[in-house]
Amino acid sequence: MASIVRPAVFRQSCLRLTTKKSFSTKPSSSFPAIKKPASSTLSKNAKTVAPSSVRIAAFHASGRKAILPPLPQSIDGTANEAAKIPPSNPAHGSYHWSFERLLSVGLVPLTIAPFAAGSLNPMTDALICGTILLHSHIGFDALITDYLPNRRVPKTKKTFDWGLRLATVVVGVGLYEFETNDVGLTEAIKRIWKA
Amino acid sequence: MATLRTTSRLFTAARPVFRAQQLRGLATIADTVTGAQPKDQTGTVNDPTKDAKIKTFQIYRWNPDEPASKPRMQSYSLDLNKTGPMMLDALIRIKNEVDPTLTFRRSCREGICGSCAMNIDGVNTLACLCRIPTDTTKESKIYPLPHTYVVKDIVPDLTQFYKQYKSIKPYLQKTTPAPDGKEYRQSKEDRKKLDGLYECILCACCSTSCPSYWWNSEEYLGPAVLLQSYRWIADSRDEKKEERKAALDNSMSVYRCHTILNCSRTCPKGLNPGLAVAEIKKELALH
Repeated sequence: MASIVRPAVFRQSCLRLTTKKSFSTKPSSSFPAIKKPASSTLSKNAKTVAPSSVRIAAFHASGRKAILPPLPQSIDGTANEAAKIPPSNPAHGSYHWSFERLLSVGLVPLTIAPFAAGSLNPMTDALICGTILLHSHIGFDALITDYLPNRRVPKTKKTFDWGLRLATVVVGVGLYEFETNDVGLTEAIKRIWKA
Repeated sequence: MATLRTTSRLFTAARPVFRAQQLRGLATIADTVTGAQPKDQTGTVNDPTKDAKIKTFQIYRWNPDEPASKPRMQSYSLDLNKTGPMMLDALIRIKNEVDPTLTFRRSCREGICGSCAMNIDGVNTLACLCRIPTDTTKESKIYPLPHTYVVKDIVPDLTQFYKQYKSIKPYLQKTTPAPDGKEYRQSKEDRKKLDGLYECILCACCSTSCPSYWWNSEEYLGPAVLLQSYRWIADSRDEKKEERKAALDNSMSVYRCHTILNCSRTCPKGLNPGLAVAEIKKELALH
């Protein structure tokens, strides 16, 4: 038990020192000697050597400009309690996954068919557009869920969620306009290909 | 130990350099490492024999008693001719003979307990199953399991991992009594379904190698726990299969797996957690 409690306690004080500032290579206020070098050292050596604590690069290769740096460890309940089981939600679980896989598999023949068969059926065109639209919506949604955890940045997550919905609608309307008033997706790709 | 040394010397010629060069650096080593052991401080270097094979080990050090000091890499040099063939032998030798403050977990030294899981040369593995690369020109780097809270040196905090393991109810759930009143029997075919699942020792190598688990370890269960979960879903004697599946059927527990397959690549026991997760997804999709 002590091993669980102890680092958490010390990490608080550790974290205060290892903030973004001390990781950066720029001189910071925590090292006043670098920020305001003494005039004597400045005149003697134009190139002042930073102390080793600053020269040491950020320890984590990816942590220099951490967007979401890890928080101090927090344990939900006691160490002997089981982690909470989220409520069953097939619409966001298995149904969602099956739908996503069907879309992905369906995209393969849909992409090949118009170019192989050479038909310019507006129905297949509409089908491709709709599938691509949903497929990319689900893909970007997975990105947002992965990298913007709701428990950490709920507001940002909500903003991005609505941004994605808006983008999907805009793209959907754009594709509809393109299909009805212009040449359509398949024909456009064909023309670009030949151009 | 003496036998080990002779055998290790015998096998050195045939031993392949099977740890590829470090793929991703977890840390940069400062040119001025405070408290680094000078090479002549290690007992073996003071009296080098003719064919001494001096190998340098860079080991992650962090002491919770000095929370203000940053983690650092400390290097130790050992003569491979006088060390056992495995990384754990080297670590134990360093702790015994060079630096007793070095802290790491170990128990069985034969890949059964899963205590000595750590990141060696960029790969999560068990120190007791990892041979020391005989290429003495290259340093070996030892870190704790990636993206874990460090208790001390290379000891990671696995509380969340064990809590998640507990949440999948890793035990036989059965309400009907056994037909003969003695034990729950299983056909050979049903038993075969558990091969490749029951061998998991929960060393956490796979879970901590999974980027999805790095980002979402609070909610995503991770490959090790999902493999164990599938071990109980696949068990023919278990009667709570539907409840187990329902507990996993949400957006976070399973479906943060994006088939990166770092888990199957890193497993020191040669298991395939990626396949188990895929089987869970299949079970959930076809229910």
